Amino acid sequence: MVAAAQHPNITLYTYSQVESVGGYIGNFEVTIKKKAKYVDYTKCTGCGLCETKCAKKKVPSEFDAFMGPRTAIYKPFAQAVPNKPVIDNKACKKLLENKCGVCEKVCPAGAINFEDQDELITEKFGAIVMATGFDLIDWGKAYGEYGGGTIPDVIDGLQFERLVNAGGPTGGKIKRPSDHEIPQTVVFIKCVGSRDVLKAKSYCSRACCMYTAKHAHQVIEKIKGSDVYVFYMDARTPGKMYDEFYMRTREVDGAKYIRGQVSKIFQDGNKLIVRGEDTLVGQSVEVTADMVVVETAMVPRADAIHLAQTVGFSYDKDGWFTEAHPKLRPVETNTGGVFLSGCCQGPKDVPDSVAQASAAAVKVVAMFSKDQMATNPQIASCNEATCVGCLLCKPVCPYKAIEGKEITERVHGENVTRTVASVNSGLCQGCGACTAECRSGSMNLKGFTNLQLLAEVDAACL
Amino acid sequence: MKRIGVFLCWCGSNIGGVVDVPKVAEVVRTFPGVAFVQENKYTCSEPGQVAMVQAIKEHKIDAVVVASCSPRMHLPTFQKAVETAGLNPYMVEMANLREHCAWVHIGEPENATQKAMELVRKAVAKVAKLEPLFESYIPVTKRALVVGGGIAGIQTALDIADSGHQVVIVEKEATIGGRMAQLDKTFPTLDCGA
Amino acid sequence: MSVNEKDSSNWQPTILGFACNWCSYAGADVCGVSRFQHPSTMRVVRVPCSGRVKPEFVLRAFQRGIDGVLVGG
Ligand SMILES: Cc1cc2nc3c(=O)[nH]c(=O)nc-3n(C[C@H](O)[C@H](O)[C@H](O)COP(=O)(O)OP(=O)(O)OC[C@H]3O[C@@H](n4cnc5c(N)ncnc54)[C@H](O)[C@@H]3O)c2cc1C
Ligand code: SF4
Repeated sequence: MVAAAQHPNITLYTYSQVESVGGYIGNFEVTIKKKAKYVDYTKCTGCGLCETKCAKKKVPSEFDAFMGPRTAIYKPFAQAVPNKPVIDNKACKKLLENKCGVCEKVCPAGAINFEDQDELITEKFGAIVMATGFDLIDWGKAYGEYGGGTIPDVIDGLQFERLVNAGGPTGGKIKRPSDHEIPQTVVFIKCVGSRDVLKAKSYCSRACCMYTAKHAHQVIEKIKGSDVYVFYMDARTPGKMYDEFYMRTREVDGAKYIRGQVSKIFQDGNKLIVRGEDTLVGQSVEVTADMVVVETAMVPRADAIHLAQTVGFSYDKDGWFTEAHPKLRPVETNTGGVFLSGCCQGPKDVPDSVAQASAAAVKVVAMFSKDQMATNPQIASCNEATCVGCLLCKPVCPYKAIEGKEITERVHGENVTRTVASVNSGLCQGCGACTAECRSGSMNLKGFTNLQLLAEVDAACL
Repeated sequence: MKRIGVFLCWCGSNIGGVVDVPKVAEVVRTFPGVAFVQENKYTCSEPGQVAMVQAIKEHKIDAVVVASCSPRMHLPTFQKAVETAGLNPYMVEMANLREHCAWVHIGEPENATQKAMELVRKAVAKVAKLEPLFESYIPVTKRALVVGGGIAGIQTALDIADSGHQVVIVEKEATIGGRMAQLDKTFPTLDCGA
Repeated sequence: MSVNEKDSSNWQPTILGFACNWCSYAGADVCGVSRFQHPSTMRVVRVPCSGRVKPEFVLRAFQRGIDGVLVGG
């Protein structure tokens, strides 16, 4: 993280989003919205005094998966990069009610600026790499039988990560959310929302078998004498040292793996009753637990489809970004100059994300190794002599490659100016939609001309 | 009129095992414009391409039909080959005798052979109307945008940056790091997430 | 035209398909790769996009006696 921030060739725009993308491979024009941070990063030293004084102390922290609070002026976590805060304009008293403003008073650098506005900037890029990652599925909706998200001590994997994290809300002590007691019996349920065609996602989320083994190990390591149960369908551990890791959790740590699914979780006093089935012995089982962790499916970011449409490439039925070829072109999209890196293409773990990330970088670097790029010559062209300038072609072009253009010619000894269609060869992607729209047959597509295609039709219908 | 060369591929037994390639060759010879027909076991292989380049030069062929597999697979291969032979790379068209014929009509060799002839006829008709096309060149802006600053975005950005190019990371949160920064330890090595 | 035209019980329509290079043509390729068998009376013209198919092409095919036209994209 720090390496990226310090690299002389890398510029970070945090708290920012892509608004629109124009242009084409080699020459994209991207408009980026830099959201108002209300903190002047050229002045801020990151001392953190503002956070200690902020009047709003109970905003649920996104970074802590809502397990702990943050302030309205905040860094997501102590080691954030850049290590400077932003003000959440949906929580700040000054911005909402024009009260308080204490951070401005205490800031020794005078960096607080409540007048800050969102800023739009437009920059040119040769290539775009998508690396927007994943979210966890909103499991509560689909799994009412697990309490539907209303039982406080049924948490998801990311929440568990924050509980064991030394930088998290409990300082790394595993305490259950309801009464902050240390749980003695912890149940993990794998494949919640994954591999469930009826209720959620059909695919396997790939990383959870392994991180469940990690979580089980962490409980046993941190809570002496604890009991850990893992309900599972399969254990998928393909990777270097993966199966060894999993077997260690079972055999050395003593996590009890039960092959089968959980049908119900309910509260009984301060305990949780977990009812399921052990399919290996063909019996129903019931575990009395203190805390349950559901290891839920990875899903694309909520704005993934919108983003794919903004940048202009394809995505699958679940919203994962689609690679150009599943085997041979795994980090390219079907849109020239747009590449994929990490989980935005589909669920994967860190080693796979990093491998794909480097692969995407190589594709970009290969593109940048030449000063110029050859363009596809199979594009539309207009016969100006016959074009009547109706410009019906203009609105059908998905790439906005057609404009009207004035030409002047001599007709019967007089200069006549008229409009004709003109194709921008940089923008045209050669789809030929304009040719089908053209009534006068003036628009043609090189490589797939009207004459060529009619010849094919004739030959095929002989 | 163009002198069209047709190169019929067996693709080992993939095409040759269903389609009667010699029979197709016989008929194709009679199509208007066809000046030369050659069969090959594997046209895309090194010897196959050498034979094609030689034939183009020797028989003064100025447009080519390769009747083999899908153009989505090997059109770029054969474009390069005809270019080596001195032709414009856009003077080649493919007839898809494998994916669209041999592989989907396995039990009916006669019908498949008949269809193969028609597919080649269609390609020859198009080739007769082909014109040379020329690529133009556009400058490349050597600056990359990485959308998302998780472990994947950071790795991509570092690799591009290390090769000497400018990179911008756009991250919607107030920090980079993504999910990995939220993790405590990561499998399989159990080292720290940040 | 179709080999089976005279025998009405075996009659198969001859079909001309226009297939987009990026989706349906690729789909037809996958159909081949998966050895999905189908009548041999279908011919595919590759186009860069189904948007390239001018109505004239379809009419011309019918004029020339084709039994059906499929535009895939
Ligand atoms: C509970 C849990 C435990 C795990 N444990 C392990 C483990 O131990 N070992 C392991 O190898 N893997 C583990 N994983 C998997 C690991 O988290 C992922 O493989 C990895 O984080 C993927 O990295 P990424 O960069 O692709 O995505 P992310 O980490 O999701 O990063 C994406 C980044 O893009 C940003 N972003 C999203 N949308 C936009 C947008 N529209 N504009 C700008 N920026 C945007 C996000 O804010 C984020 O910073 C675990 C996963 C979970 C859920
Ligand atoms: S990785 Fe394991 S737990 Fe996760 S969905 Fe796949 S099989 Fe289920």
